[in-house]
Amino acid sequence: MKIREIMIKEITSLSPEMSALDAWDVLQKMKISGLPVIDDKNKLVGMFTEKEILVKILPSYMEAVGKFVYDENPKAVRQKVSLLAKMRVREVMRENVITVNEDTVLCEAAHVMLTQKARRTPVLNQNQEVSGIVSRGDVLKALFAEYKE
Amino acid sequence: MPSLSFKFTLLVLISTALGFLSHLGLGLNQHQALSIAIFSVSILGTLFFWSFRLSFAFLGTAVLMMTKTIDLEHLVRFASLEVILFLVGMMIIIGLLKDEGFFAWIVSLILRMRNLSAKRFVLSVTIISALLACVVDEVTSIIFMVAAILEICDYFEVDPLPYIIISVLATNIGSAATVLGNPIGILIASKAGLTFEDFLFKAFPVAMVCLVAVIFLVMFWYKKSFEKLDLHIKELGSNDILIKLISVPVEKRLKISLLIFGVTILIISLHHRLELLWKLELNTVLLVMPLVSSGCIMIWKRHKAREYVEHDVEWWTLLFFLLLFAQAGTLKYTGATDVLAQKIIGVTGSNPHLLSGAILWMSSIGSSILDNVVLVAAFIPIIQGFQALHVNLEPLWWALLFGGCFGGNITVVGSTANIVALGILEKEKKIHVSFLKWFWIGLSAGLITTCLAWAMLTFLPFYR
Repeated sequence: MKIREIMIKEITSLSPEMSALDAWDVLQKMKISGLPVIDDKNKLVGMFTEKEILVKILPSYMEAVGKFVYDENPKAVRQKVSLLAKMRVREVMRENVITVNEDTVLCEAAHVMLTQKARRTPVLNQNQEVSGIVSRGDVLKALFAEYKE
Repeated sequence: MPSLSFKFTLLVLISTALGFLSHLGLGLNQHQALSIAIFSVSILGTLFFWSFRLSFAFLGTAVLMMTKTIDLEHLVRFASLEVILFLVGMMIIIGLLKDEGFFAWIVSLILRMRNLSAKRFVLSVTIISALLACVVDEVTSIIFMVAAILEICDYFEVDPLPYIIISVLATNIGSAATVLGNPIGILIASKAGLTFEDFLFKAFPVAMVCLVAVIFLVMFWYKKSFEKLDLHIKELGSNDILIKLISVPVEKRLKISLLIFGVTILIISLHHRLELLWKLELNTVLLVMPLVSSGCIMIWKRHKAREYVEHDVEWWTLLFFLLLFAQAGTLKYTGATDVLAQKIIGVTGSNPHLLSGAILWMSSIGSSILDNVVLVAAFIPIIQGFQALHVNLEPLWWALLFGGCFGGNITVVGSTANIVALGILEKEKKIHVSFLKWFWIGLSAGLITTCLAWAMLTFLPFYR
């Protein structure tokens, strides 16, 4: 089975110039953890996810320090949340996006998502334009459907 | 910004020119000239292509082997596996400390400082930065010092840049004080046969004198910033509210980690005595102790052992060091550095003051541009080459250590600590520090500390 058979074709995408706060609203309304960012030439330029927002909000030295030193959220984190409101999607998004092709086999897509730790991945057509999106759940659903048949 | 191809062409041209120049101008044979050309490829690779410098070290080493400039046996011997293993062990110990919240605890101790004033804060930042750099490496210590500084400056709403620069200056100075502060410390100790005690009696005092000088310098340089901080402390009250927010409980696991770390440092500091007691080769205990501690850690934390080795050990950097040391060893193996040593003696004479001064200034200026490990690796075989010319090597080793560490303060890219600290600042506060913004304070600190080290190496009989 190929990805083109299971991918979601009607995708919601974000513009790189959109406000990060508006983009976060879209994620919340759709109850989804991330969306692709597509420019006006219909090219995929990044992925805007909850993870990327958290990376922007938390201090970058957290990993090296090892633990958070406060009982409550410090001023710096609150400042960063307010700064996020002024940021564009392009400033927050991850530029290095894991993608699959329409002709990628289901198990290969599952393997890519697993090894690259991607919850969902945009699907590109021959012109390298985004033609759909596929999530781990979509892959699992297709695999179980095949088993039931 | 020069393009990749331009930098690559420059790298090939410079290293080829150096190879030819040493062959035709200095009269080196083909193997000697090739070893110089390949080593310069690695040096220029770090300068131009920092993010993938390892590829140049790989290719250069392959060329040295294929052209029979060095054989496998000597390549392995010169790779200084003992230094690499020491660093691996220390990185695993640091990984455990991070995991168990040691660094968060240190940050919380700094934030809990009572009766805060600008002067008190600066003194604490400089002293803690320098002392921490002595016991954990400079890159690790600067990260949590920056974290603490940013928290304090955020709370009092002042510009963190002066305090971060002060912390970096102190870190680079402190990193010269012990074997543990900087990879060049253990490299020099291993090659020169210097012990932790030697560092404690000869490097530590110099570093502390330089630290005091730098404290006076920054007190004068950033006077206005300190006045502003004092004003904000008065307006906002002390850091009592901040202290109430802090919560880093000292759990049992943190206590055990601290015990392991403490015992490691204690045994390392007593290594020479233990080696004499157990009739072991010099520096055996020093090099083995991090392996003993990290071995115990991996038994204690057996489920995370692999994670410590794979994630906390910087294999990329260590592999580069390994091949760099092997290439520097090739300079010695071919005799190229002996010829260079003779040429240097020809210019300076065998006057030890002149020689140590020359090495101190060359390494100080050199490490303001280059990674100090690369520079020290290049200098080691040259200094070893002086032995045959009956020169007292000890002052030269200290000159190399002080130059390699203090020179890192001169420019914004002078040491990894500078790059890491300013990288965090840019990420967190969007404050970009330009070359010139750093240069004048860096140059002043670099010049003062190098001059002090020079004076102490020249006038104190202790170092002769």
